[in-house]
Amino acid sequence: MIPTQWFLILSAILFSIGVCGVLTRKNGITIFMSIELMVNAVNLTFIAYARQFDQLHGLIFVFFIMAIAAAEAAVGLAIFISMYHHKDSIDVDDANLMHW
Amino acid sequence: MFEYLIFFFFAAVAVIFALVVILHRNPVVGALSLVVSFFALAVMYVLLDAPFMAALQIIVYSGAIMVLFLFVIMLLNLQHEKEPSTRPVQQWLGYLTSSAFAISLVYYLGKYAVMSGALPVPFIADARAIGRRMFEAYIFPFEAVSILLLAAIVGALMLTGRSEQRENTSGEVIR
Amino acid sequence: MAFDTTDVILSLVKIAIVLAMMLQVTPIMAWVERRGSALMQDRPGPNRVGPFGLFQAFADALKFILKEDIIPARAHKWLYTLAPAIGLLPALTTIAVVPWGRPFLLAEREVGGRILFEGGRWFVPVVADVSVGILVVFALASFSVYGITTAGWASNNKYSLFGGIRASAQMISYELALTLAAVSVLLATGSLKLTDVVWHQTGTFVLFDTLRLPAWNVLSPSMWLSFIVFVVAAFAETNRLPFDFAEADAELVAGYHTEYSSMKFALFFMAEYMAMASMSAVIATLYLGGWDIPWYNEPPTFLGFLLSALFFVAKVGFLLFFFVWIRWTIPRLKYDILMRLGWKVFLPMAFVNILLVAGFIAMRWI
Repeated sequence: MIPTQWFLILSAILFSIGVCGVLTRKNGITIFMSIELMVNAVNLTFIAYARQFDQLHGLIFVFFIMAIAAAEAAVGLAIFISMYHHKDSIDVDDANLMHW
Repeated sequence: MFEYLIFFFFAAVAVIFALVVILHRNPVVGALSLVVSFFALAVMYVLLDAPFMAALQIIVYSGAIMVLFLFVIMLLNLQHEKEPSTRPVQQWLGYLTSSAFAISLVYYLGKYAVMSGALPVPFIADARAIGRRMFEAYIFPFEAVSILLLAAIVGALMLTGRSEQRENTSGEVIR
Repeated sequence: MAFDTTDVILSLVKIAIVLAMMLQVTPIMAWVERRGSALMQDRPGPNRVGPFGLFQAFADALKFILKEDIIPARAHKWLYTLAPAIGLLPALTTIAVVPWGRPFLLAEREVGGRILFEGGRWFVPVVADVSVGILVVFALASFSVYGITTAGWASNNKYSLFGGIRASAQMISYELALTLAAVSVLLATGSLKLTDVVWHQTGTFVLFDTLRLPAWNVLSPSMWLSFIVFVVAAFAETNRLPFDFAEADAELVAGYHTEYSSMKFALFFMAEYMAMASMSAVIATLYLGGWDIPWYNEPPTFLGFLLSALFFVAKVGFLLFFFVWIRWTIPRLKYDILMRLGWKVFLPMAFVNILLVAGFIAMRWI
């Protein structure tokens, strides 16, 4: 059995990569993908702890996170499509007005 | 030993392809790399005795969410995206902060998150067990999520749907 | 994880058998499709190479190998090369979770001074009998969209791109109907394992106190609706006519594989037929009783295994012919009609069927 700690370290590395993507990139969709990466890193932590403590609650949380990630993807991508129609770009620097 | 080999191989795959996602400037390559990274995470779930979650991970993320990403990237034709490096200081600060974050997180996890090894009983996380727990204890959140998904559908349609009323006679969209 | 040498060898044997079968599918189906279409259109079809044109497939394969392999100048070289492999992978691996024969007992025997199969050992003819069986099928089916979209995008050709975009939208829509149709079967079976699904369909049941029918799901009064939805969604998932919008030769030249030539095109060609074969195997398993022989109780011996495996192959073969049959019977739909059908007809039908099965279970009729 692989120690839970290792999964946590992998999850931490992936989460940090996601943070780095969000902080350094300007392409909206890449930022969005980095967020998905962070969400997945958290999912891995949940499942690792679920096995460590023999609790199914962790898995059910992952289930809900997946459902919410799907909703988030739909709305987020709709926002980027809408932004592209108005600004002709999905660079987050171009979204600098409160109204379109 | 075989287990450890699988773990390290797929951990490396997950990290390397995650790095490609944030470093490659082509969003299509980024999206496909993210799919590979998610697949490696699904393998991790199998190693954690949760094959049901692994299947869900692939079906939901690779099968639905990432296809949607790819669809939007192709629809908007974002292939020649060049990011002008305005604000280089902030960018370097971002790299610095996130790597410092990573190093400290890994250090503290390595030092303090040492947990006892084998469980006394096997961890059972099949569809039946998860379903039972979900529909007994989590029925209200489950219904709430279904409403959230409905709201997301309506929201996405409102944001992207181009209705005829919003265009005036000259064809210009009223903003 | 402890390994038993016998287990490893048995697994390798199963993998070899399944791979050999899957690789036969493409040449046979290429011949069936061309001759079958000729039959339906009242023309001779390819009849020059060998008797009845049987060796046409080999001539085609030779041609594919000898043709020049072209990579367009503005294409994304890595993804362009990778796309056919991505397309082939899910088509080839889906079959791993499908059981293709009745399990039989390997008796203990002595070969060359070593005891094989100590105490008897069950040979279960499925490569990987995983606990989430049907979900693996859907997971791999969801991967198959990447081969097509990647090919369409990497070719840097507008027809290819349209094919890729259409394929992604179409497959994501019909996958919902496909999954929900299968939920009915899983509800009735009470398990995600495909071996359990088949065992559930062995034996017979009596319909209206008169007819003794095999307990196949397609004949069950609660599940024929989901069978229709599943088959239609399977056509859309494998990009076959009347849903072949990814290639749509009248509109998009050849869709996502417009720029492909030589072996790369051959890989797409193989992927299409293998995806059809694995989809047919899944349909046969979920609805047509898998390896079950109607009105016959297969003995747990090698003979029973052989008979049931032959029956399974026959069912898959019929379904493959059905794919060809439909191709030359129903013309291509319009794209908006495809989307409307998927979301407004087949998806509600699948939901209705789930309610129907749930009602049947509540009334203890199944």
